[in-house]
Amino acid sequence: MGEVIVITSGKGGVGKTTTTANLGVALAQLGLKTCLVDADIGLRNLDVVLGLENRIVYDLVDVVEGFCRLRQALIRDKRLEGLNLLPAAQTKDKTSVTPEQMRTVTEELRQEFDYVLVDSPAGIEQGFKNAIAGADRALIVATPEVASVRDADRIIGLLEAAEIPPARLIVNRLRPGMVRKGDMMSVDDIVDILAIDLIGVVPEDELIVVTTNRGEPAALSHESRAGEAYRQIARRVRGEEVPFAEMDEPAGFFGRLRRIFGQA
Amino acid sequence: MSHVAHASADVGQEALRQDAALYVRRTLRSGQKIAHDGDVIVLGDVHAGAEIKAAGDVLVFGHLRGMVHAGADGSDGAMVCAWRLEPVQLRIGHVIARPPDVHEDVPDAPEIARVEQGQVIIERAVRPEDGRMARG
Ligand SMILES: Nc1ncnc2c1ncn2[C@@H]1O[C@H](COP(=O)(O)OP(=O)(O)O)[C@@H](O)[C@H]1O
Ligand SMILES: [Mg+2]
Repeated sequence: MGEVIVITSGKGGVGKTTTTANLGVALAQLGLKTCLVDADIGLRNLDVVLGLENRIVYDLVDVVEGFCRLRQALIRDKRLEGLNLLPAAQTKDKTSVTPEQMRTVTEELRQEFDYVLVDSPAGIEQGFKNAIAGADRALIVATPEVASVRDADRIIGLLEAAEIPPARLIVNRLRPGMVRKGDMMSVDDIVDILAIDLIGVVPEDELIVVTTNRGEPAALSHESRAGEAYRQIARRVRGEEVPFAEMDEPAGFFGRLRRIFGQA
Repeated sequence: MSHVAHASADVGQEALRQDAALYVRRTLRSGQKIAHDGDVIVLGDVHAGAEIKAAGDVLVFGHLRGMVHAGADGSDGAMVCAWRLEPVQLRIGHVIARPPDVHEDVPDAPEIARVEQGQVIIERAVRPEDGRMARG
């Protein structure tokens, strides 16, 4: 029986869909049967990123409403054996699916696939609740920005309240040069704030934009650094120990005895 | 029960809070709020974006980076203690305070915040010179 993993973040535009697509590709490259579920109903774009838009006949809402069988709605990726997509409906809104229905769908998918990755919408409303409903665990995507990290923290709290086991963190769009200059939060800063385990760091990579526009996820090519990062994450998802590159962080110790807080 | 009664006689009423403290055995994350009519004890961190409002004292056995209001019923005698005290803002009784704008490294040691002459001051919970609690 396969595992259901939700990819979520709180904030929009931080790389959930990019992560879902590339991690899916990387897992399929490892020979694992993978199904990607687009739970961002009303704003579907996982199909576009995967270049499968023109093959959609039925979608998640059609399955839930009984217009077709689950199997009919699945799109098999012809480039890569084992990669499948359950697309979202673009014309409906998030309330057309309930968490209970979502759980039924993911239960059925896990019978057939090794991994079911659910691409969550931004926010903490119904769409988020749907996305996490059937999940065994979660991957949190955050970029090195205060607002993204703060939203990620909120999401982790909600996942804990929903009793989904400790989430793991993907830091996306890291720019090591900026971190070195002190202009960007480091991975250690983010891990320290969120207090969850890291599963991978994806660098800022122009190829992501190029490949996304072409509908060919970066992980399909071996030239992309981000693609390489996703391949490492896939191996960690599967339980392999893949070492992290050294991350430098100055340690601060301070000896002041008394300090004063000013008026707010 | 008789033990409690004895303790009460031995150390004086003021030192013994009979009203129940709220014990929170987890980390509070952004968006999570706790309000309580007595003291609050957290075994975990309080992240930025989390809030605690307590009529009494607030003790955090972890890293405090959120917002805490101790003595929220108006008592300036309340205190906040944390293993690492680095709140976005601190309120004690009527006093609202925030850390200095210039970034200060937070000492790698427990600290206590309380009100002294209308101002929130922070000091080491354990005095380095003699290893005793700064209070009591
Ligand atoms: N590592 C990266 N490097 C460069 N661009 C990225 C990276 N990750 C995501 N992007 C870009 O950021 C934008 C938002 O990403 P997307 O995956 O759609 O976010 P979300 O699904 O969280 O809203 C897209 O245009 C995508 O190409
Ligand atoms: Mg998306």
